[in-house]
Amino acid sequence: MSKGNKLKNSQMLIAILPIVALIVLFIVFCTVVQMNEYRLDMYLKIVFNEAVVLAVVATGAIFIYTLGTFDISLGASTLFAATLGVTVYNKTESLVLMILVLFLAGIVCSLFNSILASIFNIPAFVTTVAMMSVLSAIASQIITTDGGALGGISIPSSVVEPYTGVGFKILLLGLYFGICYFIFQHTKTGRRMKYIGGNPLCAGLTGIKANKYTIIAFVMAGIGVGLGAFLTLTYTPSVTTQTASSIGMNIFIAIVFGGMPISGGPRSKIYAALVGGFSYMLLNDILEILIDSSAAYGITQVISAVFFLAVVYVTSMNYRSQMLPR
Amino acid sequence: MSEPILEMKNISKRFGSVVALNDVSLTVFPGEIRGLIGENGSGKSTISSIAAGMQKANSGQMVFKNNKWEPESMIDALSKGIGMVVQESGTIAGISVAENIFLGELNQFKNKFGIIDKKRLYREADKVLENIGITNVKSNILMQSLDFQERKLVEIAKVMMKKPDILVIDETSTALSHDGRTLMYSLIKRLKNENKSVIFISHDLDEIMTVCDTLTVLRDGKLIRTFEKEEFAADLIRTSMIGRELQGDYYRADYDATSEDAVALEGKSLNYGDKLKDVNIKLHKGEIVGIGGLSTCGMHYLGEALFGALALDSGEVVADSGKVIKSCHNAVGQKIGYVSKDRDTKSLCLEASIKDNISIAGMNIFKTKAGLVTSKNEKKYVSNQIKNLSIKCSSMNQQVSQLSGGNKQKVVFGKWIGCDSEILILDCPTRGVDIGVKQAMYQLMVQLKNEGKAILMISEELPELIGMSDRVLIMKDGQITKEFKRSKDLSEADVINYMI
Repeated sequence: MSKGNKLKNSQMLIAILPIVALIVLFIVFCTVVQMNEYRLDMYLKIVFNEAVVLAVVATGAIFIYTLGTFDISLGASTLFAATLGVTVYNKTESLVLMILVLFLAGIVCSLFNSILASIFNIPAFVTTVAMMSVLSAIASQIITTDGGALGGISIPSSVVEPYTGVGFKILLLGLYFGICYFIFQHTKTGRRMKYIGGNPLCAGLTGIKANKYTIIAFVMAGIGVGLGAFLTLTYTPSVTTQTASSIGMNIFIAIVFGGMPISGGPRSKIYAALVGGFSYMLLNDILEILIDSSAAYGITQVISAVFFLAVVYVTSMNYRSQMLPR
Repeated sequence: MSEPILEMKNISKRFGSVVALNDVSLTVFPGEIRGLIGENGSGKSTISSIAAGMQKANSGQMVFKNNKWEPESMIDALSKGIGMVVQESGTIAGISVAENIFLGELNQFKNKFGIIDKKRLYREADKVLENIGITNVKSNILMQSLDFQERKLVEIAKVMMKKPDILVIDETSTALSHDGRTLMYSLIKRLKNENKSVIFISHDLDEIMTVCDTLTVLRDGKLIRTFEKEEFAADLIRTSMIGRELQGDYYRADYDATSEDAVALEGKSLNYGDKLKDVNIKLHKGEIVGIGGLSTCGMHYLGEALFGALALDSGEVVADSGKVIKSCHNAVGQKIGYVSKDRDTKSLCLEASIKDNISIAGMNIFKTKAGLVTSKNEKKYVSNQIKNLSIKCSSMNQQVSQLSGGNKQKVVFGKWIGCDSEILILDCPTRGVDIGVKQAMYQLMVQLKNEGKAILMISEELPELIGMSDRVLIMKDGQITKEFKRSKDLSEADVINYMI
């Protein structure tokens, strides 16, 4: 085999590595569950319910990451949206209104971030760090005020009962992912976002309005937040101050697991959100089963961090090897 | 003859499926100015970058000053005696000129409290700049506030500070104005007098024949021939470079300054700091207008202003539709395309594919009625550009960063021609481009002119301006100071008088 073909093959291997990792993690997960004589169907459902929220929010977040920036406040936005949704339902008993508020809250939070970032030229990571604190504080205030001694607020489980099925959630995830994939791959919007992420200066000199696409990216992420908040409530119809607290950072790790370049740009892959979201939750749950639950969280983070660094190294090595001297 | 200072034996290098160098051997002697010439993608930058530690060869050996030569990095190579000035930007934005010059060596400026003594740093950096004759750049300013030429000069100073035994200059002269080139030539002469060597890469045959003692021609990653000074003959070298004789005209064959009456683009009383002072310019349909001058004359700013990329102090740019161009978005909407001098930073997304770079400006052309970007339409659109411009690539999915300078430039042209631009603003369009590609670009410009397109060509190469333009406008200190009509009798001497 020629060296050129070898390199091509190795690049292809690196490209499919995240999918291979997902399959391997799935097999390991099934094996671990069965070795411990737990109910596989129940554990698969748990992983799915956790991963579907992460995957949905991450799918929307891909648009932001593609631009070469990131949003650390997505977890707090999800918490905020869910809190408002539950509050509105408890006041109106209208599911439609609750869903509307979930999406509106997600979009408004994201829009606010994007306006600060694009109009006032404040770096997105700065605005989102600030937003994370603000949204968490507001949500906590509502939860502790309305929830009182219960430590959380909730809606009757019967309200979301019709939407708890795996099939429905797969449909919802598939629909949202399909729309996002379509926008990402087959519209000017998606293609221009990738170009902005690759070289914002050149994109500007190609007539592309970066501000416009920054706002669109954040709106797409906001829709993901709304959907994520809804799926969170269908899993557990209550909200505490800890709900979705780790999503912001988990998204970052998950999409890199899924093969998304850390710098965004034209090599961005929207499927990284799905693959990475499920891989990350599988890895997380495998470790929780294998290791004492009180210690598992910390060890999971350590292993995730090592895995994260390895993935970033491998993907960037792949890119560097393709550079000609300039 | 003395012992060689550098021997590169049977060097091969691949980038993926691309063979950049195939068993090339090169020997350089002390005090020798060795020219490297060849078409884009011939392997000139690759072999010199291997010698300078930028990358490693896949096979072959190197001997430098009678020792095995295996530099770990460019910094390692420079500290041991081989320094390189790269083709594109080799400096870092966001830090000062002084910090760029002493990059990785700032510890020497720490005071007893461990804090960098900035005054001493700037003083020493100013000395480094002055040592090679750069007096108009102060070391305490941020790198990004310098223009492309000034950044190149800082890069040269940074390398020269280390007193290299071999200086590699990769296609740098096209980034320099007359003054910059003069400075560079004097440095080359100085190195030669000190019995040091220079590997000089350029596409300018006249320049390379004047500057160099020997000349090595590379083609498709292979060494074709090395010419001694007495063997230098332009036609012979050209034929060696491209493997055939150049057919047809190089510049325009006609001497008629022709254009349509209709004005395609007009700049009215453009003012931008001290870079543009009350500039008025009209570009007609079917016309090639050349803008010349020293690099600092403001001509590059004029290109950006006409494309809506500058927030002007006053004045306006008006398209033939009557629309005022206030942004690049407006400009593209009025079918204006802009090719920047700073190609890798401003005209291309290097990590994107050829397909992405060409199609990004043309989606409105090939989108479906429903507004979708389909793979089929996009491939057809991009294939046409690759074919029409003869872009050398393994596939349209190849990353642009893998292409040679000339092919990158063709991709930029493809980006703007494909979307049917009616007006092209070309800032140094043939910078870093070999003569074969240059000729193709000149022919393309003539073809576009004949199709009624308007072209504004900003260039630091006088033969190109004179050879291609219907009108040559000379700028000095931010103003247009002279206009020349196309004429057989127009000479470089006529033009230079108004530039300086």
